[in-house]
Amino acid sequence: MEKKNKNDLFEFVEYSPEAAERIGYSDYSYWGSVFQNFLKKKSAVVMTIIFFAVVIFSFIALIIGKYDYSALVADSSLAFTKPNGEFWFGTDNLGRDYWCQVWFAAQTSIKLALIVALGECVVGVTIGCLWGYVRWLDRPLTELYNIINNVPMIIYMTLIALLVGQSFTIMAVSLICFGWLTMARNVRNLVLMYRDREYNLASRCLGTPVWRVLTKNILPYLISIIILRLALSIPSTIALESTLSYLGLGLDINTPSLGILLRNARSYFMQYPYLLIFPAVIVSTITITFYLVGNAFSDAADPRNHV
Amino acid sequence: MIKYTAKRLFQSLLTVLIIATIVFLLMRLLPTDYFFTEDQLMKLTEEQKTEQLQAAGLLDPIGQQLVRFYGQIIRLDFGTSRRIQSGVAVIKVIGSKFAVSMRLGCISLVISLIVGVLLGILQTLFKDRIVDHVGTAYTIFVNAVPSLVSYSLVSYFCAKVLGLPTLYSTRDPVTSSIVPIICLSLASIASYALWTRRYMVDELNKDYIKLARVKGMSSRDIMVKQVFKNAFVPLVQYIPASFLSTIGGSLLMEKLFSVPGMGPLLTDAISRYDTSVVQTLTIIYAALGVLGVFLGDILMMLVDPRIKLTGKGETR
Repeated sequence: MEKKNKNDLFEFVEYSPEAAERIGYSDYSYWGSVFQNFLKKKSAVVMTIIFFAVVIFSFIALIIGKYDYSALVADSSLAFTKPNGEFWFGTDNLGRDYWCQVWFAAQTSIKLALIVALGECVVGVTIGCLWGYVRWLDRPLTELYNIINNVPMIIYMTLIALLVGQSFTIMAVSLICFGWLTMARNVRNLVLMYRDREYNLASRCLGTPVWRVLTKNILPYLISIIILRLALSIPSTIALESTLSYLGLGLDINTPSLGILLRNARSYFMQYPYLLIFPAVIVSTITITFYLVGNAFSDAADPRNHV
Repeated sequence: MIKYTAKRLFQSLLTVLIIATIVFLLMRLLPTDYFFTEDQLMKLTEEQKTEQLQAAGLLDPIGQQLVRFYGQIIRLDFGTSRRIQSGVAVIKVIGSKFAVSMRLGCISLVISLIVGVLLGILQTLFKDRIVDHVGTAYTIFVNAVPSLVSYSLVSYFCAKVLGLPTLYSTRDPVTSSIVPIICLSLASIASYALWTRRYMVDELNKDYIKLARVKGMSSRDIMVKQVFKNAFVPLVQYIPASFLSTIGGSLLMEKLFSVPGMGPLLTDAISRYDTSVVQTLTIIYAALGVLGVFLGDILMMLVDPRIKLTGKGETR
């Protein structure tokens, strides 16, 4: 047998994404199965419908309301009007229509929570993947995590409120800056679990670039955890925003939000319970439905539950 | 064991020191006005101010100030408060507030531990029946609804139906601390119940429980002697941390019910530029946090002799 040159024995094949993605039976689509599983749960579907209904209604409510938020005027003669045909949710201590304030606040809360959740997700997943996968980054990032996590967040928030200022953007950015930690920590622990599995070792031996190992081999396992964290992050961001605004460290006084509304109503709701009940019911509906939907969706997104 | 404890303690001290340094540097970002009382700010001229700052060493380079700060920490001298209570030692300012937070925190911890663990056990015993669903609904409610809303609802309910006072008063600390304690316990009851239930259900599905059943051990014995004992181990780890964080005082709760505790002191001190109070409080919070994790590990090791933190983890 004639001796072949080493170079002739093997030759490199061009990388083709289609060939790399080809699997045993082609019928399976990940997101298809996710939605199929999700739609099987009747309660989750009902919750989703309620959630979107409330969100959409918050826009309609502002249009059909008799008062425009930007044109509200204080009129002390109308203060503490009980809910009636003219003021559907009554009026606050300054005689301003409560209906448009409540819905506006609900919108602000949802907007802030969604922005923060998305930001946390992007930053947290990126850093978490690197943290878990790149070995020499582990030590410095763990130290950074310990330090940021051990100083009470309220110190950072107070300093930001004092030195930088208070506005929607500042609030969103600073919540993302301190919120990515938990997400990154979760992702890191999972990446550590999966990074040295045999199939990843094989991929690495075959010269697959790091980013493709991360996005194609590891990330699909993380989706359900990421979704779960997102679902938990939205209620907790709303809670944090209301707490901070209540303490005067969150959004500025002119941006209506749940915290500001309750802060204004604080001294009066013993006599006028509707000032508490309306915002409480609306915000609770939003957070509870989202929490349940997120949990159900995270179950559905777990590939181990797929047949 | 002793070597491990010493090493962990040293690491914890280092973390606290780093945090103290960061807060110290952050505090230097604030304007130097904090050195003077409101009264002095009005009267003193610019030169007098500079002179006094110089005398107190606040215009020295940051490095020098930092070294002096470390010296003070080592001598456990935390300085005097400037704004909150002018001229009073920081330790005294914090001490009186600490006692109030501590009392509420301890009572709430005992209540939530007992109620939470009991609820978790009941939920496991009556799994998928009405008690379980009620417990789960409670957990979801507490986790999903913003605490500002749930606290307000609780205080409204207590005031209207039970006629309890909603503001803390030093004259009548017993009845007026009922509502704050309930609010403080809401979240921790839910988390204890949730984890007790989850660990117990996990434990129930294990093989050795099946064996015990097959051998004819009574259900009650299985629950008490096997399941609960094993499920309690991971739970024990969180007790010190949650205890220490409740001592730290819940900021929102104390603000809402005007409890003179430690929680509002921190924001108050920052917004009034009382740097020595802020630094001391941060050191306390950081030390409590680090200590909580440390004690949790130790406690878990004491409860379950199988767990060893010193080994190389060869079993896993």
